[in-house]
Amino acid sequence: MLWKDQYELGVPSIDEQHKELFRRVESFLQALRSAGSWEEKAPRLNETLEFMKGYVVEHFRDEEEYQLSINYPGYEHHKQLHIGMVDYVLEVSEQYERSGNNEDLMQQFGGRLLAWLINHVAAEDQRIADYARKKG
Amino acid sequence: MKDKLYKALVDATHNVLKLMLNVTEISDRPAVDFSCDDEVDIAIGIVGDFQGEVIYRFPVATSLNMVNIMSGMQFEEVDVFVTSAVSEIANIISGNVLTALSVDDVKCDILPPVQCKPDEDKEYDIKTSCYLNTAIGDICLTIRLNRA
Repeated sequence: MLWKDQYELGVPSIDEQHKELFRRVESFLQALRSAGSWEEKAPRLNETLEFMKGYVVEHFRDEEEYQLSINYPGYEHHKQLHIGMVDYVLEVSEQYERSGNNEDLMQQFGGRLLAWLINHVAAEDQRIADYARKKG
Repeated sequence: MKDKLYKALVDATHNVLKLMLNVTEISDRPAVDFSCDDEVDIAIGIVGDFQGEVIYRFPVATSLNMVNIMSGMQFEEVDVFVTSAVSEIANIISGNVLTALSVDDVKCDILPPVQCKPDEDKEYDIKTSCYLNTAIGDICLTIRLNRA
Protein backbone atom coordinates (compact mmCIF):
# COMPACT_ATOMS: atom_id res chain seq x y z
CA MET A 1 0.00 0.00 0.00
CA LEU A 2 1.14 3.48 -0.78
CA TRP A 3 -0.33 4.98 2.41
CA LYS A 4 1.61 4.56 5.67
CA ASP A 5 0.26 5.34 9.14
CA GLN A 6 3.34 7.45 9.85
CA TYR A 7 1.92 10.03 7.39
CA GLU A 8 -1.01 10.81 9.72
CA LEU A 9 -1.10 14.40 10.94
CA GLY A 10 -3.63 13.87 13.72
CA VAL A 11 -6.20 16.10 12.01
CA PRO A 12 -8.98 13.66 11.05
CA SER A 13 -10.46 15.63 8.15
CA ILE A 14 -7.05 16.21 6.51
CA ASP A 15 -5.90 12.63 7.20
CA GLU A 16 -9.02 11.26 5.49
CA GLN A 17 -8.37 13.43 2.44
CA HIS A 18 -4.74 12.29 2.34
CA LYS A 19 -5.83 8.65 2.48
CA GLU A 20 -8.27 9.21 -0.38
CA LEU A 21 -5.56 11.00 -2.37
CA PHE A 22 -3.14 8.10 -1.81
CA ARG A 23 -5.84 5.56 -2.77
CA ARG A 24 -6.47 7.42 -6.02
CA VAL A 25 -2.77 7.81 -6.81
CA GLU A 26 -2.21 4.11 -6.07
CA SER A 27 -5.04 3.16 -8.39
CA PHE A 28 -3.60 5.51 -11.01
CA LEU A 29 -0.13 3.93 -10.70
CA GLN A 30 -1.53 0.40 -10.90
CA ALA A 31 -3.37 1.31 -14.10
CA LEU A 32 -0.31 3.13 -15.45
CA ARG A 33 2.01 0.16 -14.82
CA SER A 34 -0.40 -2.65 -15.68
CA ALA A 35 0.07 -4.94 -18.67
CA GLY A 36 -1.99 -4.20 -21.75
CA SER A 37 -2.04 -1.72 -24.55
CA TRP A 38 -1.98 2.01 -23.90
CA GLU A 39 -5.31 2.34 -25.72
CA GLU A 40 -6.89 -0.01 -23.17
CA LYS A 41 -5.40 1.78 -20.17
CA ALA A 42 -5.97 5.36 -21.31
CA PRO A 43 -9.67 5.69 -20.30
CA ARG A 44 -8.99 4.70 -16.65
CA LEU A 45 -5.97 7.00 -16.50
CA ASN A 46 -7.91 9.87 -18.00
CA GLU A 47 -10.63 9.36 -15.41
CA THR A 48 -8.12 9.47 -12.52
CA LEU A 49 -6.41 12.51 -13.98
CA GLU A 50 -9.75 14.32 -14.16
CA PHE A 51 -10.48 13.37 -10.53
CA MET A 52 -7.04 14.58 -9.43
CA LYS A 53 -7.53 17.96 -11.08
CA GLY A 54 -10.61 18.57 -8.95
CA TYR A 55 -9.72 16.73 -5.75
CA VAL A 56 -6.20 18.10 -5.40
CA VAL A 57 -7.49 21.67 -5.59
CA GLU A 58 -10.23 20.91 -3.04
CA HIS A 59 -7.82 19.18 -0.64
CA PHE A 60 -5.18 21.90 -0.90
CA ARG A 61 -7.83 24.54 -0.18
CA ASP A 62 -9.02 22.67 2.94
CA GLU A 63 -5.46 22.15 4.13
CA GLU A 64 -4.65 25.84 3.66
CA GLU A 65 -7.80 26.81 5.62
CA TYR A 66 -6.64 24.56 8.46
CA GLN A 67 -3.20 26.22 8.40
CA LEU A 68 -4.80 29.65 8.64
CA SER A 69 -7.01 28.48 11.52
CA ILE A 70 -3.93 27.60 13.59
CA ASN A 71 -1.88 30.60 12.36
CA TYR A 72 0.71 28.30 10.82
CA PRO A 73 3.79 30.49 10.10
CA GLY A 74 4.76 28.47 7.00
CA TYR A 75 1.40 29.10 5.32
CA GLU A 76 2.67 31.24 2.42
CA HIS A 77 5.52 28.86 1.57
CA HIS A 78 3.21 25.85 1.77
CA LYS A 79 0.64 27.56 -0.43
CA GLN A 80 3.30 28.15 -3.07
CA LEU A 81 4.12 24.41 -3.06
CA HIS A 82 0.43 23.67 -3.65
CA ILE A 83 0.20 26.21 -6.47
CA GLY A 84 3.29 24.70 -8.11
CA MET A 85 1.76 21.22 -8.07
CA VAL A 86 -1.65 22.35 -9.33
CA ASP A 87 0.04 24.22 -12.20
CA TYR A 88 2.08 21.11 -13.02
CA VAL A 89 -1.01 18.84 -13.05
CA LEU A 90 -2.86 21.26 -15.34
CA GLU A 91 0.15 21.70 -17.63
CA VAL A 92 0.69 17.94 -18.01
CA SER A 93 -3.00 17.40 -18.55
CA GLU A 94 -3.01 19.93 -21.40
CA GLN A 95 0.18 18.52 -22.95
CA TYR A 96 -1.23 15.00 -22.70
CA GLU A 97 -4.42 16.01 -24.47
CA ARG A 98 -2.53 17.95 -27.16
CA SER A 99 -0.15 15.02 -27.75
CA GLY A 100 -3.01 12.60 -28.37
CA ASN A 101 -2.47 10.64 -25.12
CA ASN A 102 1.33 10.24 -25.27
CA GLU A 103 2.38 7.41 -22.91
CA ASP A 104 5.81 8.79 -21.98
CA LEU A 105 4.25 12.02 -20.76
CA MET A 106 1.96 10.10 -18.42
CA GLN A 107 4.76 7.79 -17.17
CA GLN A 108 6.87 10.86 -16.44
CA PHE A 109 3.96 12.47 -14.61
CA GLY A 110 3.37 9.28 -12.57
CA GLY A 111 6.98 9.11 -11.37
CA ARG A 112 7.11 12.73 -10.34
CA LEU A 113 3.67 12.65 -8.72
CA LEU A 114 4.66 9.62 -6.61
CA ALA A 115 7.83 11.20 -5.21
CA TRP A 116 6.25 14.65 -4.81
CA LEU A 117 3.22 13.35 -2.92
CA ILE A 118 5.26 11.21 -0.51
CA ASN A 119 7.67 14.04 0.25
CA HIS A 120 4.86 16.56 0.60
CA VAL A 121 2.87 14.49 3.09
CA ALA A 122 5.84 12.86 4.90
CA ALA A 123 7.89 16.06 5.25
CA GLU A 124 6.08 19.32 4.41
CA ASP A 125 2.69 18.44 5.95
CA GLN A 126 4.32 16.96 9.04
CA ARG A 127 5.69 20.43 9.81
CA ILE A 128 2.09 21.63 10.16
CA ALA A 129 1.36 18.77 12.57
CA ASP A 130 4.53 19.51 14.57
CA TYR A 131 3.54 23.16 14.86
CA ALA A 132 -0.04 22.28 15.92
CA ARG A 133 1.26 19.86 18.58
CA LYS A 134 3.71 22.42 20.00
CA LYS A 135 1.01 25.07 20.02
CA GLY A 136 -1.22 22.69 21.97
CA MET B 1 31.89 27.41 2.33
CA LYS B 2 32.99 24.04 0.97
CA ASP B 3 32.43 22.40 4.38
CA LYS B 4 29.01 24.02 4.71
CA LEU B 5 28.02 22.78 1.26
CA TYR B 6 29.18 19.27 2.06
CA LYS B 7 27.26 19.21 5.34
CA ALA B 8 24.10 20.67 3.75
CA LEU B 9 24.22 18.07 0.98
CA VAL B 10 24.79 15.10 3.30
CA ASP B 11 22.20 16.28 5.86
CA ALA B 12 19.55 16.91 3.19
CA THR B 13 20.13 13.48 1.64
CA HIS B 14 19.97 11.73 5.02
CA ASN B 15 16.75 13.55 5.84
CA VAL B 16 15.02 12.82 2.53
CA LEU B 17 16.05 9.13 2.55
CA LYS B 18 14.73 8.80 6.10
CA LEU B 19 11.42 10.59 5.61
CA MET B 20 10.55 9.30 2.14
CA LEU B 21 12.08 5.82 2.17
CA ASN B 22 12.57 4.94 5.84
CA VAL B 23 16.29 4.49 5.15
CA THR B 24 18.38 5.31 8.22
CA GLU B 25 21.48 3.17 7.79
CA ILE B 26 23.75 5.51 5.87
CA SER B 27 27.53 5.80 6.01
CA ASP B 28 29.85 8.34 4.36
CA ARG B 29 32.76 7.10 2.28
CA PRO B 30 35.43 8.92 0.26
CA ALA B 31 33.88 10.04 -3.05
CA VAL B 32 36.90 8.72 -5.00
CA ASP B 33 35.89 5.19 -3.97
CA PHE B 34 32.55 5.44 -5.79
CA SER B 35 32.46 3.27 -8.88
CA CYS B 36 29.52 2.38 -11.07
CA ASP B 37 29.06 1.56 -14.75
CA ASP B 38 25.29 1.56 -14.95
CA GLU B 39 23.68 4.56 -13.32
CA VAL B 40 21.02 7.24 -13.56
CA ASP B 41 22.72 10.64 -13.52
CA ILE B 42 20.64 13.71 -12.74
CA ALA B 43 21.78 17.34 -12.75
CA ILE B 44 19.97 20.11 -10.89
CA GLY B 45 21.10 23.56 -12.03
CA ILE B 46 21.63 26.31 -9.48
CA VAL B 47 21.27 30.03 -10.19
CA GLY B 48 21.48 33.10 -7.97
CA ASP B 49 24.35 34.09 -5.66
CA PHE B 50 26.09 31.00 -7.00
CA GLN B 51 25.83 29.35 -10.43
CA GLY B 52 26.45 25.68 -10.97
CA GLU B 53 24.80 22.36 -10.35
CA VAL B 54 24.31 19.38 -8.11
CA ILE B 55 25.00 16.07 -9.83
CA TYR B 56 23.33 12.94 -8.48
CA ARG B 57 24.72 9.55 -9.50
CA PHE B 58 22.26 6.80 -8.62
CA PRO B 59 23.30 3.27 -9.62
CA VAL B 60 20.48 1.41 -11.38
CA ALA B 61 19.94 -0.90 -8.38
CA THR B 62 19.64 2.10 -6.03
CA SER B 63 17.21 3.83 -8.40
CA LEU B 64 14.98 0.75 -8.64
CA ASN B 65 15.07 0.20 -4.87
CA MET B 66 13.99 3.80 -4.25
CA VAL B 67 11.03 3.54 -6.62
CA ASN B 68 10.05 0.07 -5.36
CA ILE B 69 9.92 1.35 -1.77
CA MET B 70 7.93 4.46 -2.65
CA SER B 71 5.41 2.71 -4.88
CA GLY B 72 5.13 -0.67 -3.17
CA MET B 73 5.40 -2.08 -6.70
CA GLN B 74 8.17 -4.05 -8.39
CA PHE B 75 10.17 -2.17 -11.02
CA GLU B 76 12.70 -4.28 -12.92
CA GLU B 77 14.30 -1.71 -15.21
CA VAL B 78 14.92 1.99 -15.48
CA ASP B 79 12.33 3.66 -17.69
CA VAL B 80 10.70 7.10 -18.00
CA PHE B 81 8.70 6.57 -14.79
CA VAL B 82 11.74 5.55 -12.71
CA THR B 83 13.91 8.36 -14.09
CA SER B 84 11.18 10.88 -13.34
CA ALA B 85 10.69 9.64 -9.75
CA VAL B 86 14.43 9.64 -9.08
CA SER B 87 14.75 13.12 -10.65
CA GLU B 88 12.08 14.40 -8.27
CA ILE B 89 14.00 13.00 -5.30
CA ALA B 90 17.10 14.85 -6.56
CA ASN B 91 14.96 17.97 -6.91
CA ILE B 92 13.70 17.63 -3.33
CA ILE B 93 17.19 17.10 -1.88
CA SER B 94 18.53 20.11 -3.81
CA GLY B 95 15.67 22.30 -2.59
CA ASN B 96 16.46 21.30 0.98
CA VAL B 97 20.17 22.09 0.46
CA LEU B 98 19.32 25.61 -0.69
CA THR B 99 16.91 26.07 2.22
CA ALA B 100 19.74 25.13 4.60
CA LEU B 101 22.12 27.57 2.88
CA SER B 102 19.57 30.39 3.00
CA VAL B 103 20.14 30.52 6.79
CA ASP B 104 23.58 31.98 5.89
CA ASP B 105 21.92 34.46 3.54
CA VAL B 106 22.91 32.55 0.40
CA LYS B 107 20.11 33.16 -2.11
CA CYS B 108 19.83 30.65 -4.95
CA ASP B 109 17.15 28.87 -6.95
CA ILE B 110 17.13 25.47 -8.56
CA LEU B 111 16.33 24.58 -12.17
CA PRO B 112 14.29 21.54 -13.26
CA PRO B 113 16.18 18.22 -13.18
CA VAL B 114 17.84 16.97 -16.36
CA GLN B 115 19.53 13.68 -17.17
CA CYS B 116 23.26 14.16 -17.71
CA LYS B 117 26.61 12.49 -17.99
CA PRO B 118 29.10 13.37 -15.22
CA ASP B 119 31.52 15.88 -16.71
CA GLU B 120 34.74 16.34 -14.78
CA ASP B 121 36.45 18.79 -17.16
CA LYS B 122 34.90 22.07 -16.09
CA GLU B 123 36.55 24.26 -13.46
CA TYR B 124 34.55 25.53 -10.48
CA ASP B 125 35.33 27.89 -7.57
CA ILE B 126 33.83 25.43 -5.11
CA LYS B 127 33.40 21.72 -5.62
CA THR B 128 32.73 18.94 -3.16
CA SER B 129 31.48 15.36 -3.47
CA CYS B 130 30.13 12.73 -1.14
CA TYR B 131 29.60 9.02 -1.50
CA LEU B 132 26.86 7.55 0.65
CA ASN B 133 26.50 3.85 1.25
CA THR B 134 22.94 3.02 2.30
CA ALA B 135 20.74 -0.01 2.93
CA ILE B 136 19.19 0.50 -0.54
CA GLY B 137 22.47 1.00 -2.39
CA ASP B 138 25.13 3.60 -3.09
CA ILE B 139 24.66 7.24 -4.03
CA CYS B 140 27.29 9.73 -5.17
CA LEU B 141 26.58 13.46 -5.05
CA THR B 142 28.65 16.37 -6.30
CA ILE B 143 27.93 20.05 -5.84
CA ARG B 144 30.00 22.45 -7.95
CA LEU B 145 29.50 26.19 -8.00
CA ASN B 146 30.94 29.45 -9.24
CA ARG B 147 30.30 32.74 -7.47
CA ALA B 148 27.90 34.81 -9.61
